[in-house]
Amino acid sequence: MSRGVLATEKRGVRELGAEEKVGWDAVPQGVVLNSFDNILKENVSHVKPEDRDYSDFNSYTATVASWRVIKPVYNRDICIDCQNCWVWCPDTSIISRDKQMLGIDYDHCKGCGVCVEVCPTNPKSLLMFGEAQELEDALAMWPEKKKKAK
Amino acid sequence: MIEIRWHSRAGQGAVTGAKGLGTVVATTGKQVQAYALYGSAKRGAAMNAYNRIDDEPITNHETKMNPDYVLVIDPALAFTDDITKNDKPTTKYIITTNLSKEELISQIPALQDKADRVYTVDAIQISLDTIGRSMPNTPILGALMKVSGMYDLDFFLDNMKKVLSKFPQKIIDANMEAITRAYNEVK
Amino acid sequence: MAKKFELNEVEVWDGNYATSQALRQAQVDVVAAYPITPSTPIVEGYGAYKANGYVDGEFVMVESEHGAMSGCVGAAAAGGRVATATSSQGFALMTEVLYQASGMRLPIVLCVVNRSLASPLNVRGDHSDMYLGRDSGWINIDAFNAQEAYDLPLCAFKIGEHLDVRLPVMVHQDGFTTSHKAQNVRPLQDEVAYKFVGDYVPVDDMLDFSRPVTHGAQTEEDWHFEHKAKQHKALMDSTKVIDEVFKKFKDLTGREYKRVETYYMDDAEVAIVALGSSVETATLAAKQLREEEGIKAGVVAPRVFRPFPYDLIRDALDKESLKAVCCMDKSAPGGAMGALFNEVSAAAYTTQSRPMITNYIYGLGGRDFSIDEAKRIFKEQKAHADAGHITTPIQQFSGVRGPKLGFFETKRGN
Repeated sequence: MSRGVLATEKRGVRELGAEEKVGWDAVPQGVVLNSFDNILKENVSHVKPEDRDYSDFNSYTATVASWRVIKPVYNRDICIDCQNCWVWCPDTSIISRDKQMLGIDYDHCKGCGVCVEVCPTNPKSLLMFGEAQELEDALAMWPEKKKKAK
Repeated sequence: MIEIRWHSRAGQGAVTGAKGLGTVVATTGKQVQAYALYGSAKRGAAMNAYNRIDDEPITNHETKMNPDYVLVIDPALAFTDDITKNDKPTTKYIITTNLSKEELISQIPALQDKADRVYTVDAIQISLDTIGRSMPNTPILGALMKVSGMYDLDFFLDNMKKVLSKFPQKIIDANMEAITRAYNEVK
Repeated sequence: MAKKFELNEVEVWDGNYATSQALRQAQVDVVAAYPITPSTPIVEGYGAYKANGYVDGEFVMVESEHGAMSGCVGAAAAGGRVATATSSQGFALMTEVLYQASGMRLPIVLCVVNRSLASPLNVRGDHSDMYLGRDSGWINIDAFNAQEAYDLPLCAFKIGEHLDVRLPVMVHQDGFTTSHKAQNVRPLQDEVAYKFVGDYVPVDDMLDFSRPVTHGAQTEEDWHFEHKAKQHKALMDSTKVIDEVFKKFKDLTGREYKRVETYYMDDAEVAIVALGSSVETATLAAKQLREEEGIKAGVVAPRVFRPFPYDLIRDALDKESLKAVCCMDKSAPGGAMGALFNEVSAAAYTTQSRPMITNYIYGLGGRDFSIDEAKRIFKEQKAHADAGHITTPIQQFSGVRGPKLGFFETKRGN
């Protein structure tokens, strides 16, 4: 099963909630969660997520892929890079670089379908398919442009 | 322990007067309390302020007291407030009024067996003449100094100047004049 | 750089002004406040110091007390030294956020000027607000007079910010009785006070970009209990730091504070346990009763109400001479014994001597607590002691008009 674009060794490596359940003596003070284990030497906002050394406390390392029963499939040939899906995605699972849409992060996408709803192209550049559907097959059955009713 | 109860209306400066007295007294090494019972009362409502003075730290937080001095700084309150409440056989009364002492006592039954302990001064008129508005709190302290002999006038004036130091010089001077006049005019 | 404030060796300050001076000297970074009687002059004072250049911090005006404590939580999580003040209904509106502050382990100092809770609406002092917040996970310290309303906030910053504690701290004082009563106060000079409190050391602050953190995380049944257990442990363990800070304050000023204050308890046969300014009045009554009637009366006062000093209360009451104890609660009990009665009884049950304990509800809505009333209560305890059993209902109301009001009889001893 595809994990989507820009997957790394750290991204989505454990099921959310499957972390080790430590005792009261080992939980962090004040429920403070560190995003990184190490002290950062540069401003992290200048580093791309796939290059960041996230800690196990950061949701980058967790996956919710198993929550999904249908998934969005992205069609590069139709997309106009309007960034609407990137803005609306509630789980930051639309990956875009320099205002160019790259695809879906399937480690964090829960299959809500918002990206498809907000896609303005005709036909849509994102469509929902069954989780088991191969991406190539999905693209092969992409619908034609709809004609405006007269 | 010396206990002083003020009868005032909210806005007449009894709290400021009580705190000012406390500040002056504290400079002489004594322990003081200055407090008031007013809560959410608005300007014009009758209220009480209080002072306690002692050589030892004061740990009594009871509001009620058996006053050694009762200072009435609003003329009408001498008639409408229970100014002799919880008093002692030695309690002295200093009352703001435009009446003569005899006229005042003749109209207030509660004072009639205490005539030798009643003192009057027109602190309202004095403050109008000197400060330019009705602010009887500082002049009544001048009268208290005379009646109690607590401190001599010059010492008290010097220290009150420090208490009032945040005000313009004109206001300070007017207050000094008011205190001096009340000191000299209290009967 | 903040200007130095000229202070005399002895000032005549009320409790509110004394507290505002302590906040100034601690150089609080952020005060987010929504003023309410009788605590208004504390934040008003801080605002004036800010306007006149005596503090370098920020004053944040908010739309409610909920907003005030939320602002404090935000500023503390960002990494600042933070304080505010409130009373009564304002405290009630803050309550939700009080739990956030303690759960997030943010060492905010909240100056609570105790006032009753409506209805009926009342601006004067009782301990309803203090009791409302007693399970909120804050350290609770109680000042009995204006000097203490100056001293204890200074200690509060040092306790709460200590790296072994990192918990918010409330400093209580009685509305009007303490907050509006000017008394002799001996302040520290600015540099001495600041040196005592020390520089603020942020922990997990959100403005540390080299170590980004998430504050205010959600946990469900799989994590919540562990976090609350750790928080409770930190609160219970804060006693060590509280004792240390009180010791350092005594070394600096000569003024001694203990988690439980005791007065005339060495040979006491009867005792009152109370909080706030009533402690001083009751102690004066005990002294007079000893001199006038030879009644061996004493007073016990939890200076630190949370973490509740069970150990020291137990030790204070574990005396063969002590026969009868009255716990005085200045808060409407809402269908139970007063909180102080319940806590003190729990501690006293672990003593060998197990004195008789009764409960008085008193002083609600600022009803004056007099020396005579304290004496009457001591004498009633003496009657219990002489009879060998409690001769009245366990809970009674003192100072209320109308027929005697009492609840719950003992089955012990008679």
